[in-house]
Amino acid sequence: MNDDELRDELEFHIAERARLNQAAGMPAREARDAARRQFGNVTRIQEEARRMHAGEFLESILNDARYAWRASIRVPAFTLTALFAIALGVGSSAAVFSVVDRVLFRGLPYPHAERLVSFGMAAPIEPTEFILGADYVEWRASQKPFEAITTWSDLVDCDLTDRNPARLSCARVEASFLPTLGIEPLIGRNFTLDEDRPNGPTAALLSYGLWRSRFGGSPQVIGQSVPLDGRPVTIVGVLPSSFELPTLAHADVLLPQALDLAAQRRPDTGRVMRGYARLKPGVTIEQASAALAPLFQESLKWVPPMFRREVKLRVRSLRDRQVQDARLASWVLLAAVFSVLLIACANVANLMLARAAGRRRELAVRVALGAGRARLIRQTFTESLLLALFGGALGCGLAWVLVKVFVAIAPGGIPRLDQATLDARVLLFALLASMLAGLLFGLAPALSNPHAESLTGRRTVGATRGWFRQSLVAAQIAVSLILLAGAGLLLRSLWNLENAPLGMRADSVLTASITLGRQSYPTPERQQAFFEELERRLSGVPGVTALALSDSLPPSGNTHSMIYSLIDVEGRARAGEGTGGMVVWRSVTPAYFTALGIPITRGRAFEEADRQPDQNPVVLGASLARRLFPNQDAIGQRLRPGRSGPWRTVVGIAADVRNNGLAEPSAPEYYVPRHHTPDGATRSANLIVRSPLDPRGMSDWIRREIAALNPTLPVTVESMQQRVGKLAERPRFNAVLLGLFAAMGLLLAAVGLYGVMAFLVAQRIQEIGVRMALGATRGQIARLTLSQAARSTAAGALAGLLGSFFATRLLRTLLFQAPERDPLSLGIALAVLLTVALAAAFIPARRAAQVDPIEALRQE
Amino acid sequence: MPDSLQGALDLLILKTLARGANHGFGITLHVQTVSAGLLRVEEGSLYPALHRMERDKLVAGEWRVTDNGRRARFYKLTPTGRKRLAQAEESWTAFSKGVAKVLRFA
Repeated sequence: MNDDELRDELEFHIAERARLNQAAGMPAREARDAARRQFGNVTRIQEEARRMHAGEFLESILNDARYAWRASIRVPAFTLTALFAIALGVGSSAAVFSVVDRVLFRGLPYPHAERLVSFGMAAPIEPTEFILGADYVEWRASQKPFEAITTWSDLVDCDLTDRNPARLSCARVEASFLPTLGIEPLIGRNFTLDEDRPNGPTAALLSYGLWRSRFGGSPQVIGQSVPLDGRPVTIVGVLPSSFELPTLAHADVLLPQALDLAAQRRPDTGRVMRGYARLKPGVTIEQASAALAPLFQESLKWVPPMFRREVKLRVRSLRDRQVQDARLASWVLLAAVFSVLLIACANVANLMLARAAGRRRELAVRVALGAGRARLIRQTFTESLLLALFGGALGCGLAWVLVKVFVAIAPGGIPRLDQATLDARVLLFALLASMLAGLLFGLAPALSNPHAESLTGRRTVGATRGWFRQSLVAAQIAVSLILLAGAGLLLRSLWNLENAPLGMRADSVLTASITLGRQSYPTPERQQAFFEELERRLSGVPGVTALALSDSLPPSGNTHSMIYSLIDVEGRARAGEGTGGMVVWRSVTPAYFTALGIPITRGRAFEEADRQPDQNPVVLGASLARRLFPNQDAIGQRLRPGRSGPWRTVVGIAADVRNNGLAEPSAPEYYVPRHHTPDGATRSANLIVRSPLDPRGMSDWIRREIAALNPTLPVTVESMQQRVGKLAERPRFNAVLLGLFAAMGLLLAAVGLYGVMAFLVAQRIQEIGVRMALGATRGQIARLTLSQAARSTAAGALAGLLGSFFATRLLRTLLFQAPERDPLSLGIALAVLLTVALAAAFIPARRAAQVDPIEALRQE
Repeated sequence: MPDSLQGALDLLILKTLARGANHGFGITLHVQTVSAGLLRVEEGSLYPALHRMERDKLVAGEWRVTDNGRRARFYKLTPTGRKRLAQAEESWTAFSKGVAKVLRFA
């Protein structure tokens, strides 16, 4: 029954009564008035009926919400501050959640992904697990723990060579690859076993992206033949758009692995592959690892005895394989934003307590009028939830901005960051976070509801309440200090990282990385000719101090490497067990050392004459020289890396250069000259130019010169400083984010401290007046107020110090050459915190000192 | 016991409607007349009670035109309401008997 009908029903009743009254002899008007009077309150009946229909509970909640709304807009300063705090807390949490959700929580795009594992051996030469073809064949035949087992080989460049050539990225996978992952092609079919044999029919699966961009998304492509690296290949299927390789690498085309079983045992044709498997239901990773151990021991027999101890079996979940080191950083960030959220909650709880104190009379009146305790508590929670939801909505706006900022400033290589968006999951998280926050900060005022007696008493600020509010402030300060300490530590580590000596002079150096195409430069001769020509064109130009070519560049870790124990030294027995770790080597032109500013500490650098094919000198890095020839002069010694090839004579020793990224310890290193003959030719090389001239003009010139040789070559020109800077991007990103959250936490804590102090001063104005009247000086009053602030700050700082001892342990593996308990960064964090706290307490203290005792006492 | 007292209004309404469908005003008139003016049903209680009973499916309401040509909402007993009436009459009789005994004893 709707409102109109209800009114009709009641009007009918009144009219009938009036008719009866009239019949009894009353005048018409009087009869109607009497009827209405007798009927009583129409509105009340209507309300009661409405309540019956809408449900009484909902109705009163709406009432509460209306009431809360009116109460909130009456105190805009309180409401805005609270909304700001919640928005900051919820917004930053939601933004970080949207980033780390993909890394930590969200399911991988495979059915029953929790049963997918990556398995293989890890060795110094390749720390990411791999499996050799021969071992794989054995394991596949006799493994027990897996329901399905498969491999793929790392990505290689491949060229689509039709009318409009394109460089693609191809991966070789077994026919069992897609079924093991549980993926079906979008259209077409998977490889057949026949296609997965050596010299079987050709077959290719296209990625969704390539299919759409290159083939217009037409289903007609199935069965078409495309030239891949000059060979026609038949397209058999298209992968779904959601498909991703287990490593998250991007592949345009999947080709059959076509494993030649017979060839696998021979070392020269054996293939290095990545193994993936699906666990049988109920089998854990540990059980699988134990079950594979006998097979692993069998495979170890093929490993040269000296290396066996350093090869390990590894089985780990697909997620672990994907996120690698991003996991810890993600947890740290998540913990940091939750801390900010907690601080925001404590802050709003304090604000609400302050407001509750101001509304004591109003609430007491409501109690006196019969509002039950439960009713008032519900009212408080309605208010806090309403605040939380509004704040959360604002927070979602903030999160949207923050995610954009994260993605913009983030370096490459953070897994799945590009997929971070505010989707339903993140919004749900924000909703839950705000509800939880609302409950948290509603709890404090709800638990301290007033009684009707407060009406009679004069201001009786409970001592307990003051204590509670101060401990909330102390908690905020403690959490802020932990955040500050963590951020300080990461910043210190970043500083160390960026200021660690590189062993070379990175200023005024430009580098250009050039990779020649397989099609245009198929032979070593052609490749060699290109780089020789390039060198000739560029050298001897005025303004270029030094110009060199090399196959790799420090300080990144992408270099050739060699097992230490495979370096033979003339006149010395071969070393016993163990690989001795890895040794980095580079092939460089003579000017390499000058161009990069690497000092030659003994002997000489290479000379032009060393580039003749019969010349085989070697320059050792200082640490390799020390290790190979501990108590000898290395110059003139002869050695043979890799136990084959020519003996090389040591002609010089170069200072050590950081060559394994910025954070990892450097490897020993040696250099060989880049010969003028095709034997040293490579498809890619780096041009190094040292010049005092303007780098922009210089880099244009380099591009022009390269374009003059071949205008279609993709070239990346970067200054050495840019290259080095890139290597510190990940730690910088972590440090910047944590610093940002620490700053937010500190700001909130300062606002909280200020609020509490201002409130306490306002409440004690009369007391202060009395004290002043009794002779207290302004200084004493200020000290009195400050000491109160100092107590909560000190308590918070102490708790924070304790907490940061535990929290910074979490950061241990993210640190570079910084101790996890770093007194310096902790001290600075403490100093920053205390300064901000003092500043926040100073304003109320000054106000307290400026109280006019006469004014204050007159208020009595 | 308060249940029984509160139930008295329901009982009066149900009993009245047992004679045939009637509107709210008719119910007050009937109770007043039959009880010879001893009982008066308050409008402020009657309508909420009627609406509650309608929600609980004890009575069913419909719009009809009265003898003198006015639109009024008529209520009639549902089968559930009839059953409830029987129960209520029984418990009321028991209740009033009990009260009478106590009164006589005291």
